[in-house]
Amino acid sequence: MTALAYYPGCSLHSTATEMDESFKATCEALGLELREIPGWECCGNTAAHSMNRLLAAALPANELAKVKDDMKLDAVAVPCAACFSRFTTATYEVAEDERLAADVAEVVGRPYTGGVTVWNMVDVYHDGVGVDVLEAKVTRPFGGLKVACYYGCLLTRPPKVTLAEDPEYPTHMDAIVAALGCEPTEWGYKTDCCGASLALCEQDVVVALTGKILQNALDCGAEAIVAACPLCQVNLDTRQGDIAKADPSWQRLPVLYLSQLVGRAVGIDAARLGLKKHMVDVAAVMG
Amino acid sequence: MTTTLTAPDTVLANTIRRGAGVNAYKCYQCKRCTAGCPVAGFAGLHPAQIVRAVQLGDLASIMADRFIWLCTGCQTCSTRCPQEIDVAGIMDELRMLAFEHDLVRKDAPFAGILKYNADSFKRWGRMYELELLARDKVMRPSTMTDDLLLGAKMIAKGKIGFLPSTGGDRAQMKRMVETAERIERQRRAGSAAPAGASSAPSDAGGVS
Repeated sequence: MTALAYYPGCSLHSTATEMDESFKATCEALGLELREIPGWECCGNTAAHSMNRLLAAALPANELAKVKDDMKLDAVAVPCAACFSRFTTATYEVAEDERLAADVAEVVGRPYTGGVTVWNMVDVYHDGVGVDVLEAKVTRPFGGLKVACYYGCLLTRPPKVTLAEDPEYPTHMDAIVAALGCEPTEWGYKTDCCGASLALCEQDVVVALTGKILQNALDCGAEAIVAACPLCQVNLDTRQGDIAKADPSWQRLPVLYLSQLVGRAVGIDAARLGLKKHMVDVAAVMG
Repeated sequence: MTTTLTAPDTVLANTIRRGAGVNAYKCYQCKRCTAGCPVAGFAGLHPAQIVRAVQLGDLASIMADRFIWLCTGCQTCSTRCPQEIDVAGIMDELRMLAFEHDLVRKDAPFAGILKYNADSFKRWGRMYELELLARDKVMRPSTMTDDLLLGAKMIAKGKIGFLPSTGGDRAQMKRMVETAERIERQRRAGSAAPAGASSAPSDAGGVS
């Protein structure tokens, strides 16, 4: 069994517990051992990089130093796309900027200059497990369910940090859902921003941005959206009530986590996938 | 009538170059940043105009607009810029300048969210969502009923916890925050304040 460090992040312990549970269940079934980083702290999120550039780099570097020096592991799974962005940005910055790396070492109390690979949820399935291995483990294929893979912003952007090969039209999540028996949708809003960081304060903007994404998925024939970010999933799922208020004919679109799709396909008990946590009912596509 | 040409004020651009490592003078106004920006249509200025204002040292125009408080940090601008200017990094630096020089507009609730967010992880080591939501509602009572039903549904589904998470290393968080704030203060104390940083923009505090 391959061991990976695990950084759940705050969202997976609050608004996205079903992402945490389903991800852990799938890793267990796929032969990956997740070791949670002891005493992990918040990655600093958007607030840190809008207020203190040094702290924004130091918080993830502190976790990466624990993975490398204390846990003696060389890879960490960071399923939240926003945390993943902070971890990869910190990795990039300490490698590029010696002065910042020195300041980070002073803040953290020890140096971190690299050596730990940071994997988001798509990477774990695509590179950690492998599409062929995953496909071989599928016992309940989806039978052609049309799903739109939504990558959002931070799984791929900026590519100098995420090392994404095709940041405008990525396809690695599509390859995973195809292996599960789904039919990935070709659509136009794969990497458009859903505005999740404004969810608490600029409702009009958020309803407009999520509405465009959901409408495009419907127009391209999707029966569900699959996300690999807790902020995107919550935003696309919860805003459909507001959209329906303005447009009573709105056809609600289920928004699933990639880990829930993988879990169902490899035969994990539905009770471990958190399918009742969604605002838009998912029973029709996950039954 | 004579026209006097003056060189642009470079203090703002240099402040951003020192802070974010970004040279705004490389921009030739192709506006690919603006074309891809999800919130360009929701504010008075768009990203290319913000970069132009940085080139001109016009901090007042930037702070008089809501754009930097609507930027979602989606990184589309930084990804597509042909000059490899980290435009989103410029927005980060402008938000830092706004906080530092007390130039945050009253109609910028995102600034409050960022502050409560930072307070939350500094205090608890991890985010405490319910406290953050409560602080936002108390500071903006006119929004008290917004998303109330949604919030209730999320609590019912166990998506918002009542108590803070206690597993984080709070002592290490406290040490890191104190050290980072001390180093950043020292670094910024050595820099000249950009023009316009001493007084609030004329229409700050407009109706939301």
